[in-house]
Parts: sequence; structure tokens; C-alpha cells
Amino acid sequence: MWIAPLLLLVCGVLVLYPLVYLVTESFNIGDAQTFPPDEYGIGNYIELFEEPKVILNTLWVACLATVLAVLFGFIQAWILTRTAIPGRARLERLMQLPYYMTPLIGALSWGVLLGPKTGLLNQVWHSIGFTSDFFNIYTPWGIAWVMALFEGTVAFVMIAASMKSMDPSLEESSRVLGASKLRTALKITLPMVAPGVLSATIFVFAEMLGSFAAAFVLGIPGRFFVVTTAIWEATLSFPPDYGRAAAMGLSLSGAMVLTLGAAKFIMRKGSYATISGKAFRPRPMEVGAIRWLLMAISWGYIVVAVVLPLMALTLTSFERFATVIVSQMRFTFANYETAMAMGSLAPAFANSLLLGIVVATIGVPTIGVLAWIIYRSRMPGRGAMEFLIMIPQAVPRLVFGLGLLWAWINIPIPIYGTLWLLGIAYFTVFMPLGLRTIAGVVMQVDKSLEECARVCGAAWTYQMRTITLPLLRPGLVAAWLLIFIASVRELGVSVFLMGPNSKVVAPAIVNSWLSSSSELSAAMALMQTVMVFIAVAILFRVARRVEGDVV
Amino acid sequence: MHRFASIAAVLGALLFTTNAWAADLCANPRQMDGFKTCADIAKAEAEGRVVVYSTDPEDGSEKMLSYFSKTFPKISTSYVRLQAGALYAKILAERQAKSYLVDIVQLSDMSLVLDFNKRGGYAEYHSPEMVHFKPEWKSTPEGFFTWGSFSAAAIAYNPKLIPPEQAPKNWLDAVDPRWIDSITSKTSTSGMQHMTWYLLRQLYGDDYWQKFAALNPKAFDSYVQQYGRTVDGQEKIIHTAQYSGYLLAKAKGAPIEYVYPPDGLIAVPSSWGVIKEAVHPEAARLFLDWFLGIPGQTALGQTLMLNSLRGDVEPPPGGLRPTEMKLLFPKDWDAFIKTHGQFVKEWNKITGMR
Amino acid sequence: MSDVQPRIEVKDLVVRYGDAVAVDNVNFSIAPGELVTLLGPSGCGKTTTLRAIAGLENPSSGSIRLNGQTVWSGTERRNVPAEKRGVSMVFQSYAIWPHMTVFENVAYGLRVRKAPQSEIKASVARVLEMVQMQAYADRPSSNLSGGQQQRVAVARAIAFSPNVLLFDEPLSNLDAKLRAEMRVELRELQRRLDITSLYVTHDQEEALAISDRVIVMNKGKIEQIGSPEELYNRPVSLFVADFVGAANMIQGQVKGTAPDGSLLFEATGGITLEVEAPPAGGGGSVVALRSSYIHLTPMPETHNAVPGTIHRRMFHGDFIQYVVDWPAGQLIVRRPPTEYYAEGSGVTVSFLPEHCILL
Repeated sequence: MWIAPLLLLVCGVLVLYPLVYLVTESFNIGDAQTFPPDEYGIGNYIELFEEPKVILNTLWVACLATVLAVLFGFIQAWILTRTAIPGRARLERLMQLPYYMTPLIGALSWGVLLGPKTGLLNQVWHSIGFTSDFFNIYTPWGIAWVMALFEGTVAFVMIAASMKSMDPSLEESSRVLGASKLRTALKITLPMVAPGVLSATIFVFAEMLGSFAAAFVLGIPGRFFVVTTAIWEATLSFPPDYGRAAAMGLSLSGAMVLTLGAAKFIMRKGSYATISGKAFRPRPMEVGAIRWLLMAISWGYIVVAVVLPLMALTLTSFERFATVIVSQMRFTFANYETAMAMGSLAPAFANSLLLGIVVATIGVPTIGVLAWIIYRSRMPGRGAMEFLIMIPQAVPRLVFGLGLLWAWINIPIPIYGTLWLLGIAYFTVFMPLGLRTIAGVVMQVDKSLEECARVCGAAWTYQMRTITLPLLRPGLVAAWLLIFIASVRELGVSVFLMGPNSKVVAPAIVNSWLSSSSELSAAMALMQTVMVFIAVAILFRVARRVEGDVV
Repeated sequence: MHRFASIAAVLGALLFTTNAWAADLCANPRQMDGFKTCADIAKAEAEGRVVVYSTDPEDGSEKMLSYFSKTFPKISTSYVRLQAGALYAKILAERQAKSYLVDIVQLSDMSLVLDFNKRGGYAEYHSPEMVHFKPEWKSTPEGFFTWGSFSAAAIAYNPKLIPPEQAPKNWLDAVDPRWIDSITSKTSTSGMQHMTWYLLRQLYGDDYWQKFAALNPKAFDSYVQQYGRTVDGQEKIIHTAQYSGYLLAKAKGAPIEYVYPPDGLIAVPSSWGVIKEAVHPEAARLFLDWFLGIPGQTALGQTLMLNSLRGDVEPPPGGLRPTEMKLLFPKDWDAFIKTHGQFVKEWNKITGMR
Repeated sequence: MSDVQPRIEVKDLVVRYGDAVAVDNVNFSIAPGELVTLLGPSGCGKTTTLRAIAGLENPSSGSIRLNGQTVWSGTERRNVPAEKRGVSMVFQSYAIWPHMTVFENVAYGLRVRKAPQSEIKASVARVLEMVQMQAYADRPSSNLSGGQQQRVAVARAIAFSPNVLLFDEPLSNLDAKLRAEMRVELRELQRRLDITSLYVTHDQEEALAISDRVIVMNKGKIEQIGSPEELYNRPVSLFVADFVGAANMIQGQVKGTAPDGSLLFEATGGITLEVEAPPAGGGGSVVALRSSYIHLTPMPETHNAVPGTIHRRMFHGDFIQYVVDWPAGQLIVRRPPTEYYAEGSGVTVSFLPEHCILL
């Protein structure tokens, strides 16, 4: 059992050590460029409330986006788990796709699609006789739209899970007692899935508070700033104000912790809910002719979240200069040639792939054991541990990146500027993601399967190896995939931690967007997306083969 | 270049006098192909590597460095490109932890440059190529940093939306009410914007920026977005338009024209210098000599579309020589830097950030 | 029993969850080869007691000894982990590992003990044959039926020859017919292996059928320990009388002694019954009377004969259950299917005094 405390210690240090630096810096009111600070005070925090516009903006766009995302997620979840539409299984698999695209790509491509006056969709709108724009994406609504499209998948996964685990006999008994389908949906289904929807809502809201890319690409042109973009400005531009950034970041994480705490509280209170030990086979409803409409809605989401953005991106990447005015377009392979010719890009792709594979491969078993300790064992302090591991999720990535930079450059081990440091940093910031994914599976595995192993004489480590980990495998594969993708597209901490010989992809894309050209960025972003898709396809093939051995 | 108010800088300068004197001993710099150097080339090649941190675009920087590698195949180059603030955070963190990876640093914000010099971050090295740079283009005393390039800022427009005869001719035309809702600028985080604000206010008074604010300008982090949106037709005109961005867009055949205001273009210098505790000091010196010499300065124009201040260097393709433009610099850098707080506040108001 | 060392000895066992007491001062011991059942309604603490013995639950105080070894003791601060206790267990959910074949499931305990490959093969084949699952050895275990899973679970539990076998409601997920069959098989198996077993169930019929002794628990406490016959015929409390077997509860009070020494009990409705005096003396206000011990024709050997009317008749196949109106209310009576009365017909309710348990 010595493994458990050791793991907890290591993970605790990984999270807390950079946090100490961050908190220290947030009280720096002296020279912003000096670390450790000469002068301490709470000025950075007070400043936040003197200019509340950014905070109000953040709340407004996060609320809008959350409502939209939960709506998307709910509708998709209902259609795909409760109704009998054709091609359900395929659609459910496709619902993962938006997650593989980055919000950055989404924002860039929606800028092309719905930019004012000349966005492709706006041009179509004009050509059918309208004089004003169909929609201007450079508005809070536009930001919320893009954020909701990508976060909708997350809402879908969470809501679908609660709908799937709902006993269908509860609905059936309502129907038998004479209630109509609609009445059943409103009076029985909705209240039953309410806890699931509520917790998804709060989780998505917390994500929205900390999201960056859409507000970055679409907010700044519309003169609309949220906390994360304000942090970007404070950290990355001239003159840097790290104290203010740290204070803003920590305040934001305070808000997120509160929200997530509320979610947890509600989850606990609302445990009348839907999950019981028995396995149900959800019986989808026959919906008659309306199923074609539902199917169209379901496919519509995929098209809008994946197909359209990818098309817009592809178009841009083949242009000599980015334009959406069709008559001016000049097509070329030059952007791909430039990207290929950049000597640093190939190593950056290789580094990102390597980091993704290594971090996911080491992270998943480690986090698997942690998840087991937290959700299964009776070790004292489990709750505190869970909280600790979830912290990196709540701190905006850019700010946490600063903390990691200060923390790791100041230890006597020479890992600064190497891939090792990036690996450690990725592991730290993706622990929450892994824990969240694996926790769901851990709780689904019947406890007695493990107890039986113990009674059969297996010690803890033997039981973990032979029973628990193999049983968790589907969840572990999913977690591996999520961590891999998140690593490949990581931006916030990479910006600060990459060195001249340890570059990664995402900062290169943002750099190119900021300093080279949109069309080159589009080409690079597309290459990144293709890389992720290929990696995922390979993984699925491997996973299927592994599964095939067993069943 | 100008007077430092800071005592620390003076002290620093005094401390380095002996060193400076020693550096002057390089009386017979070695003549290379197009530049002179005091660096020990054998030693530099033994170090085998030079690391550059810069804010210049990645694809161009990489090409420029490859020119150096072609001349010195035994010295490999690598670089990190980041936004000024992030880059400076990285440099200071490396310095504080005494684990430098960087040898040569390029910074385009004079306040960061002066701050770093005040902290004693630059090594003293008197490149023989520095004689081609006027005293006001170098640190005082010289030998710490040098303006290795500059970006000009003026006005650009989309000729498909604005016929050339209606296009602005001077700075004052750029704040005409005609451009309401169709003009862009840079954000308050841009050093170029700060300088533009400062110098045009000196020229035309506060009134100028009030007229600008009335146009509802949109502010961007980067010239890429400014040019992209104007070429796209989402905006018509760019205020504080970076010259290199124009040259890049023009070279691709995009519909874009540049205005050279007779009153002058804002010139934002980029300072280059060797890091004091550089891991590859000899290679860094050699690189600085190469860069400030004809080959480096020419490569700069061809790869990054940036201008050299040297009159004897070919301008970037399609661009003018610095001698063909009227360039505006702040006369007193300290006075300029002191206005930063005021600028940020006003600019944020003008661009609606807060 | 006293001269042989008990296999399982539970002393003053208390298990608390926060403020709630799940097991409250429980004491019992089980001799080698014995099959003892913990019987009680859900939430009575029987499963918790079993899990505490297995080492899956941490008691608050008391002690547990297996084979004379203390495996848990509050005072000695001893806690032998589950895997070192040498017990085996059949879980309610069967806990068949879906990622393994039937063979691998059964072999698990042997593999843990690093048994040689040949021994594993032989043992697994032997126990699979015992549970008639030898044909399924190489099947994946994920699509076995409930009954098959149950057999595999039993095979797995006995494969490594444990000296104590624990059953946690092993038959509760099976349908009635299968349950009845498995009951017989389990008892057979237990006898054949002569393995000490502790069995938890809430099904009194099951408990009575398979046990050497039954421990009835209620609200964390033991109500009665005894052989199935003792529990059925001599329940010591209202709870046991009610929970074990089908019983009628007749309210009333003791009104004196009959000439033959039996007590006279005046029930509600003004009838007087002869009941056997309880060995401990004294007397309560309820008489428990098993439904199967009531006759609907007069019996010469008793004075307990009261007229009644058939109110409802339910045919159960193996027996007929009548609801009979009589002066003290209604009685549930079970008669063989050969004794047929129409609803509404008059009968004479009669029963022996020794079947009337005064509580």
C-alpha cells in the first residue's frame, strides 16, 4: 500500500508547488518584472473590482454560452438516447468529433464563415436578396455560439450518461397510466434527468468562465474583453503585468471552485436521481415521421460544429492571401510549402506527438490508481486529495503556466527548456481531465468484483493489476485519448515552458496567427487536426484489436 | 543615444568602463564576407550553437537564421518566438534562476530594452559593425544594445474600397469622419501604438485622437488581423499600419496600398544585444557582427520584410530605403516611457477595451 | 460443540456507520463442517456481520476469530486483511469478472496462491465438474446466464479449498425454480466438502431448508439461535414467530390453568384456548399459531375446537390457503390440496395446545 501515499505526495507537490509561486506573485505590487516581489499588497485584487466591465462581460458570455451548450447537448442527448432515429449509433460516435477540433480552429473558421459583410454565409445571405448581415460573429453572441458548439459535446456526454442510466420503466409506467408522450417527457423524463442536466450546466459554466480561444479570436475585433483575454493582454503583451494576471487568474479560479462546489453539493443532494446498480437497456421511443426531422437536427449539429469549420479552414489554407471575397481568391500550395519548409515545425509536431503519447501513457495508469484511491478506498483525506488534483482545472492555463515556469526554473534539476518539463507540466494540468473521465468508470464498476479478488486472497496491488485496471480499460482508453488530444493542442503552459529545442505545435499556430498570416495558420491548424484524426483512428484500431483478444 | 536618468545605469556604465576599454582593444577586427568581427571564429564554432529570442514572425526568423547557418555551417541556430511580454517573462525567469538558454535577444519595446539594460542584462560587446549606426541608434554608452531593425508605421487602405484619389494623403486624413466603423488600430499593449499616440499628439495635439476615437476604431493585437480584415473588405483603412505587413500582403498580390505621410512615418526600433551570461558568448558575438553587417541586414529585409537603419543595405523587396522616408522617433525616451500609463488608459477608452 | 475448536467465533461485535449501529453486540460461534445461516430482513445487519468476518468491513469493537486465530480485535488492535484470512465468499451479484474466461475466474484464487499449473488445471476441472460447468471452461464469462454465473461463483469460491465459506444471499437473483434446485445442490456440495459455511439470506424458507443452525437477526441484534425445527416450533419472540414460517397472531390474555396443567388463554371474541405453558413460565398477551398446524375438522385430542367460516380460498398447488373467519378475527390456514372446502362453508377450527406458542 506504500504506492498510494507516494502517488498522492507526488501529485500534491506537482500542483501546490507552482501554486505557491502564483499566489506570491498575485500579491506583487512592486516592480511587476521582479520575482520574487519586492513589495506585497492586495492592490492587484482591488483593481479587478474597480473595473468590473471585464468581469461582467465574462459572466454574460459564459451564461449565454452555457445555455446554448446545454441546449445543444440536451437535444442531442435526447435524440440519440431516447428516440429511434435511423443511424443513431453512427451519430453517437460522430458526436466525439467536435472535441477533436480545437476551439481555436472553430473560432478562426467561424470568423471566415460569419464575418460581417464578407463572411461566406453572410455573402450567401446577401446573394438571396437581404441587405443586412445574417449574423455578425464578432459579438458576444458569436463568441457564445462558437464556445457552445464545442462545449456542447461535453454537455452531451454528461446528459446522455444520465439519460442512459434512467430506468425506462419509470417512463413506461407514466405512459401506461395514460399520459401522452409529451406529458411523460415533461413530467417524468425531465425531472428525472434534471440532476444530470444541472450538474452538466454547472460544469460547462465553469469551463466557459475559463475558456480563451473564442473570446481571443472573436472578442478582440468586436472590442469585447473577458477575463481570460484580459489575462492574455496582461501577461503576453507590453508591458507585462504578471501580478495582475496572477490575481485575475486566481480570482477566476475562486469563482470556478465555487461553481463546481455548488455542482457537487447539488449532485449529492439530488441523489434520488437516476443511477442505480442495475443495468438498463434504454428503450428508445418510436417517433414516427418526426424522426427525419430529429435526424436532420442531429446531423445539423455535426455539420455546423465540424464540417463547415473544416471546409472554411481548408479553403483559407489554400489561398495566397486570406480573403473570403470569391472573385479575389488566388489559390496556392505556398502555405503548406512554407509550413513544411519551417525547420522548427516538423520537430514541433514530433514533440507534440511524443508528449501526447508519453503523458497519456504515464498519466492514465497513475490517475487510474488515484481515482481508485479517491473514489473507492477509505483512505483518510480522500476528499482533500480530489480537491487538490482538480485545482489545475480551475486556474486559467496561461496563469498556471507562469506559476509552472517560476516553479520549475527555480529547482536545481536542469529540466528547464527540455521536453521533460513540458511533460511534467502537461501531466499536472491534465490530472483533472483524467480524474474526471476515469472517476465515471470507477464508480460504474461493481465493488464486489474487487472485494471478491481480495477474498480470493489477492493483495491490493495484485487485485489492481488483474481485476481493477482491466475492468477500467474502456474508461482508461477514453482517458488516454482525451489526454493525448489535450496535450497535442495545449497552448497556455506551452507558451512559457517551451524552449528553443523543445517546441510544440499550438504556440506555433498562435504565433503564426499573430505574426505571420491567417492562411499559414489555417494550413498549420489543418495539419494539426489531421494529425489528431490519424492518431485517433490508429488508436481506435489498436484498441479494437486489444478488445478483440478478450471477447 | 540620450541621457539615462537612472543612477543605476550610470553606475553600471562606470563599472563596465574597464571592460569597454578592453573591448576597444580589438583594433584589428577580422574582415569577413560583408562584415567585420572581433569574435574568435574557431571558439564560436566550437560552441557550435546560438540561440535567439525574438518577437519577429516565426517563418521569417527561421529563414533569416538559415542565412547565418549557411555562412557558418558549424554553428547551428535555434530560436523562440513569443509575444513581447511572454518573451520578457521567460528571459527574466531564466536570468533570475541563472539558467539561461538564450544568447541573443531582440526586443521591440524600448521600455523593456531600457529595463533590461538597467538590470545589467546585456553583455558589453563593441561590434565593429556598430560604426555604421548613428549614436542615437545605440545604447549609451554604446556596446550593449543596437537598433538592428525598425518597423515603420503609417496608413494602409484597400484600393477596391477606396479609390486612390479619395485615399488619405497625410495623418490628418486618416481621422476623417468618412472612416467611421471601418478603421482599425493596434491595442494598448502595442509599443508601436504607444509611440504613434505619443508622436502624433506632439504633432497635432490631443484633438487628433479625439477625432480618431469618434470613428469607433477596432483594436487588434497583431498587424496580421489588421491587414487580413482590410484585404477581406471587413474594414477599409488601417491606422498604425506596420510597413512589413503591407509589403508581405502586397507581395502576395492582395489589394492593399500604403500611404507615406509627408509629416513622417512612426519608426519603431528593435534592439538587439548579447545576453551577459550567454552560454555561447563567442557565437553570440559572431552572430551580432553578422547581423549588424551587410549580410544580416540584407537577410532581414528579404526574410522578415523589415527595414535596416543602414543606408547602404538593400531595402526589403518592394519597399523604400530608410533614406527615402521621413522617420519619426521620440526625442527623449524616458519622457516617452513615462507617458505609458496615461496612454494605456486613454487608448483603452478610445478602443473600448474597458 | 464445546470440545471442538470453533471455526468462526464472533464476540461482542459492533459495527457502526457514523451514529447508526449496523451490528450491535453480536456473539456466535460456528463448529467445523457446520452450515449456519444469518437470517433477517434487509438492514438487520446480517450482511454487515458477514462482511466483517470476510474483512471487507471494519468493525468498531469486539473480536473475530477464525480457526482459533484472531483476525480482528478492537482491544488487540489486530486487523488481518481480507486476503490473508483464508476465507472465501460467494457474492450476491456473483462478481464474475467479465474480462476473464470461466476457467480464469475459477483459477484466480489458485493463481494468487501460486499453485503449479498442473494443480490449477486439475482443481479447476474438479470444481467445475462439481457445479456441472465443465463444458463452459473456455467460454468468456460475460454472457453466462444467471444460474451459470452462480455456479461459476461457487466453483471459484471453493476452488482453492478455503476452510471457511461465506455466502452473501447467493440465490436471491435467481428465479424460484432455479433457486429451489440450487438450494439442494449447495447443501449437497457443502456436505460433500464438509466445509464450514456462513450463509446470509432474507428468505426464511431457504434458511430453514439448508441450515444446521439459523441465527435470526433484527435491528443489528440476534433474536434467536437454534436449529430450523426449534425456530419453527419454539420461537422465543414475536419477531421470530412472525418472520420464520407463516404464523397467526392471536391477541388475548392468560386466564388461569387447565386441569391437565396447560394454560387457559382468553382470546379476543370471547373464546378460551388451551395453550402449552412456556418453559420459562409467565405469560404474554399473544399466542402464535402456525398456519400449517391448524385443522379444519374437529380433532379428538384437543379441546381447542372453534366454529368458523371459509372466507376466501386460494389454490397454491402444493397446498390450499384458506382465510377463515372465526370469533377472534381471521385465521390463515394451510391445508393439503386434498382438503377442499367451498367459500362460505362452515368448518371447525382445531389445533393442539403444544402448537400454541405463548409469547
